[in-house]
Amino acid sequence: MPDAKQETMNVKLKVKRYDPADSGGKTWWQEYEVDIHPDSTVLDSLIEVREQNDGTLAMRCACRASICGSCGMKVNGTAKLVCKTRVVDVAPNGEQLIIEPMGNQHVVKDLVISLDTFFSQIKRVEPFLQPDHVPAQGEYIASNSSMENLLTSMNCIMCGCCVSDCTVLEVDSNFIGPAALAKAWRFTEDPRDGKRDERLKTLNDEDGGMWDCTRCMKCVDVCPKGVAPMDRIMELREAAIEAGNTNTSGYRHTESFYNSVKKNGRLDETRLAIDSAGWTNLPRLLDLAPIGIAAMRKGKLPPLMPHKSEDNQKVKDLYKSVEDES
Amino acid sequence: MYEHDVLIIGGGLAGLRAAVEVTRAGADVAVISKVHPVRSHSNAAQGGINAPLTDRGDEWEGHAYDTIKGSDFLADQDAVEVMSSEAGEAVLELERMGVIFSRGDDGKLGTRAFGGQKVARTFFVGAITGSAILHVLFEQSLKLGLNVYEEWFVTKLIIEDGVCRGVVAIDLKSGEMHTIRAKAVIMAAGGAGRVFEPSTNALICTGDGLSLAYRAGVPLMDMEMIQYHPTTLARTGILMSEAARGEGAYLLNASGERFMEKTAPDYMELASRDVVSRAEQTEIDEGRGIDGNVLLDLRHLGRSYIEAKLGYLQEVSVEFLGIDMAEQPVPVQPGMHYIMGGIKTDVDGATNVPGLYAAGECANVSVHGANRLGANSLLDTVVFGRRSGVHAVEYIKGVGAHSKTEEDLASEKARLQALLDRPKGERVATIRDDMARGMTKGIGVFRDQTSMEGALENLKNVKSRMGGFSIENKGKVFNTDLMFGLELEFMIDCADAVVAGALTRKESRGAHFRTDITERDDENWLKHTLMYQDDEAETGVRVETSDVKITQWEPVKRVY
Amino acid sequence: MKYAFYPGCVARGGAPELYDSALAVMERLGIEHVELTKAACTGAGVLQEKNLKMGDILNVRTFAMAEQMGLPIMVLCSTCQGVMSQANHRVKKDPEYLAEVNKHLAAEGLEYKGTTSVKHLLWALIEDIGLEKLKETFTRELTGMNMAPFYGCYMVRPTDALEFKANPTRETSLEDLIEAVGGTVTDFAGKTACCGFPILFINQANSMKMVANHTGTAKDLGADAMVTPCPLCHLNLDGYQPKARKQVRGDKADLPVIHVPQLIGLAMGMSEKALGLQKHIVSTKEIVRKAEALPTRV
Repeated sequence: MPDAKQETMNVKLKVKRYDPADSGGKTWWQEYEVDIHPDSTVLDSLIEVREQNDGTLAMRCACRASICGSCGMKVNGTAKLVCKTRVVDVAPNGEQLIIEPMGNQHVVKDLVISLDTFFSQIKRVEPFLQPDHVPAQGEYIASNSSMENLLTSMNCIMCGCCVSDCTVLEVDSNFIGPAALAKAWRFTEDPRDGKRDERLKTLNDEDGGMWDCTRCMKCVDVCPKGVAPMDRIMELREAAIEAGNTNTSGYRHTESFYNSVKKNGRLDETRLAIDSAGWTNLPRLLDLAPIGIAAMRKGKLPPLMPHKSEDNQKVKDLYKSVEDES
Repeated sequence: MYEHDVLIIGGGLAGLRAAVEVTRAGADVAVISKVHPVRSHSNAAQGGINAPLTDRGDEWEGHAYDTIKGSDFLADQDAVEVMSSEAGEAVLELERMGVIFSRGDDGKLGTRAFGGQKVARTFFVGAITGSAILHVLFEQSLKLGLNVYEEWFVTKLIIEDGVCRGVVAIDLKSGEMHTIRAKAVIMAAGGAGRVFEPSTNALICTGDGLSLAYRAGVPLMDMEMIQYHPTTLARTGILMSEAARGEGAYLLNASGERFMEKTAPDYMELASRDVVSRAEQTEIDEGRGIDGNVLLDLRHLGRSYIEAKLGYLQEVSVEFLGIDMAEQPVPVQPGMHYIMGGIKTDVDGATNVPGLYAAGECANVSVHGANRLGANSLLDTVVFGRRSGVHAVEYIKGVGAHSKTEEDLASEKARLQALLDRPKGERVATIRDDMARGMTKGIGVFRDQTSMEGALENLKNVKSRMGGFSIENKGKVFNTDLMFGLELEFMIDCADAVVAGALTRKESRGAHFRTDITERDDENWLKHTLMYQDDEAETGVRVETSDVKITQWEPVKRVY
Repeated sequence: MKYAFYPGCVARGGAPELYDSALAVMERLGIEHVELTKAACTGAGVLQEKNLKMGDILNVRTFAMAEQMGLPIMVLCSTCQGVMSQANHRVKKDPEYLAEVNKHLAAEGLEYKGTTSVKHLLWALIEDIGLEKLKETFTRELTGMNMAPFYGCYMVRPTDALEFKANPTRETSLEDLIEAVGGTVTDFAGKTACCGFPILFINQANSMKMVANHTGTAKDLGADAMVTPCPLCHLNLDGYQPKARKQVRGDKADLPVIHVPQLIGLAMGMSEKALGLQKHIVSTKEIVRKAEALPTRV
């Protein structure tokens, strides 16, 4: 790094270690302390550890400029790109930093996780342009705004932070994941791609597809590049519905909610539950019964004739004015 | 043992483009890379890719001339002719693969201005062009089902009877070593920025490819030509793309003057990079800088323009330095960025060792000569990556069956084990740091006999310590500690060649600017320097020269 | 302090104990409020999946109503908080979009000028009233009661729309409250994770795993109860806990989950009935007993 000033900062790190060869599957914590330039990043301090204290520490890093995506890891429980995480931001009073490998992915050694999970998710969305024709000469014609629109997804550097902290992947490894869906979004939005409808349908129908996102916003929060995967997923859902994919309980749930507020100004919870299950889906309906009964016994079953908001005609009028516009 | 028709070392732009070409031709190909392909340093290229498009009224000869002039006439003109005439199709092909290039109002590819060119012919994606192209090439590699040895580190090329026949490599994840036989090997392992400190380059840019070829008997050409990029971010050394200047940013000294007026009144901030870096360094050295920096001013471009066209730069400036480019100018300084020098190849990527090709930053055709124009590197990678692939496919038709011996594997295993067994000694990082700082000091933006001899002395000292460094990590899985030791050995080779070339060339040309010999000397030095590894030579390097190929353009004085 | 009170749909529906306990707490504190009875549902992020603009229009309408009254909005639900904050954030940073939205509101004689603030009861207590003032109304300290905080996603992300920078106490609001009532925080990794409610009807298996993981882990770490500012989280963590725990961990639902005003009400010495604690699916008998055994001061 460029010349260090005289002034230094003391950084304390507690790193989760793991070596498959040595410790028989056990992990252990190792503490380090380094003195480093006050403007340093967490990566700077880890490199200092690796270079001057402990050459056995394994981690991935390369560009140090938040463009290669190598250095994703958990800092105090949240995935971050450590090359752009300043120590003073995460340890303003010299607190010890807890450093762990990213989550939801198999650990190879120390802070190095296997990239297999991430890339197998990406591969599931067929992440390459599939045009339905090739221009006779020159380039595809496309507007600049349509290309700039894709920058959001193109900014993804495949660092894996979103996958690491996804609360659905924590309980279900079959979920295709936020990174893959954000990547898929790029192709559905690319005017040159000829497979939009198929892509939407596949991701709509698939087990672990677009409807499995629980809308917790963790991926939006941790993405270091502003890709906001969850927002992309919501857009995929809106697009899938518009394209006529109405065969999921996710769709029924959304549709029911929308209509409930239209009709009553408020949410009719009972109706929502039944609509989402599907009126003809007997097993699902029966599944709802226990909770309904329990709620009734406790005196908290929502009224079967739903409460409306006061003067809810105004809400109906509002819906009309918006629906007429589109 | 693994076998392939073609093995490509490096998964960046040049490597993946070559792989796509070879796959299309139906040959069996694999890429081997010490990092996952999307982590390759091609990612860091920001500004754009040049191409003359004739249907838009541009002519390839214009781009060729700008390139040759930019190279201070050291580029081989036949090679530049090839690159410029193929550029248009190369870029259009990338667009058809899906790169999200910026567009003009007519929906066709849009351009921005760039250094050393009066015609705007740089095609771009925001300030992330390299990343945008790399990711699309990676997508294509998935589509084609490309076989990639991910996180395998090549330690040696297998040369049998003077012919390249494969590699020995470590699978980093397991620590196991293997032989991979190939009928042709394409070296696309990138540059050697880590030989200097600071550098815009990633930690992985350790000149592996340059050294591997060098050890196999291939000369490294014009290694003294080191590009210092004019705008690297203060303190962090992060690259701030030339695109900023292409979009209209100014360079100011401490008095707020656009100092480029003094040395390049015509091209101003868009003069060639070596000219701009020297101008900046002069301002700084003569006391008109601010804490060792000059200022890059984008305020007049306006916030929304900056965010649309230069979003990544704004991100870096805000995240790393807390500076909002729409409100304040950014402190920048020259930083080591690119090596024009490299593995000598012909226009098809072939080296003097049959079966060994090279393309991308590690190669030197020469299209960049003594100074590379911005946005020509991305072009270089795809044009010569493709051509290497094409030629390799032809070449292998005449190659016989793979040999099955594993002698190189055995000797490499022993060599690496010996490194691991060394008693506790110096740390690799300390030696690298000493070497790299010495290199920057001696072979900087400005250099002279004294400084270069200083670099040589420093290098001698560093080399004397190479037998004593030790590897702390004795384990097998993901032993980066061992890898850093091997990388240091590669870096020393590159440093040797750089210093040798610098001391040999007795003139100033392009990026090689000697304050003790300031003029260009076409009569004696319109030549390439060629560095060969030679144990008989005092410094371990034997230097020869070769003539520069001139076709259409007689060398003239370079004025911006 | 006076607020435009927006209880949300679930507080008037499946979690009436939240509404009752909130009113009781506000009365004890002397917090004046006027209920926004004409306001529509926020959309909870679900309506927004079908039509983001429609959701924004409904919420901006609510903001405009409060703005006309000159009052800040108070909500009882993390989801209402998050959805409203996001809508507010979107229109505030894009005047063109706000103008588009206002076009639709004109028919009702409403126009949003961008000045309404939305605060959860929890935030209002910490930021507007102050924990010290709150503590003055307590009649007992809940010493020895281990409480696991569960924020609910919409209360903690995204931090820009939720104005965390300007209000750093929001990051630890639940933990601060637990300590203010004299309890001990049972810290656990899932406190800012998802409860699974949004996918309850879409992927029930995953939803149950989330419920089981969070309640099970908190219980394993010694929590007496979980406290949450979101009635949607409550529906899942309380209502579906029996099913989830049995299905995923093979054990019983043994962690009561209580609402923020109920926790405060216990510290204020209010009765089980007044706080609606008998309405929970997972029994709260044990924590009520523990609380009532603690010494009260006059």
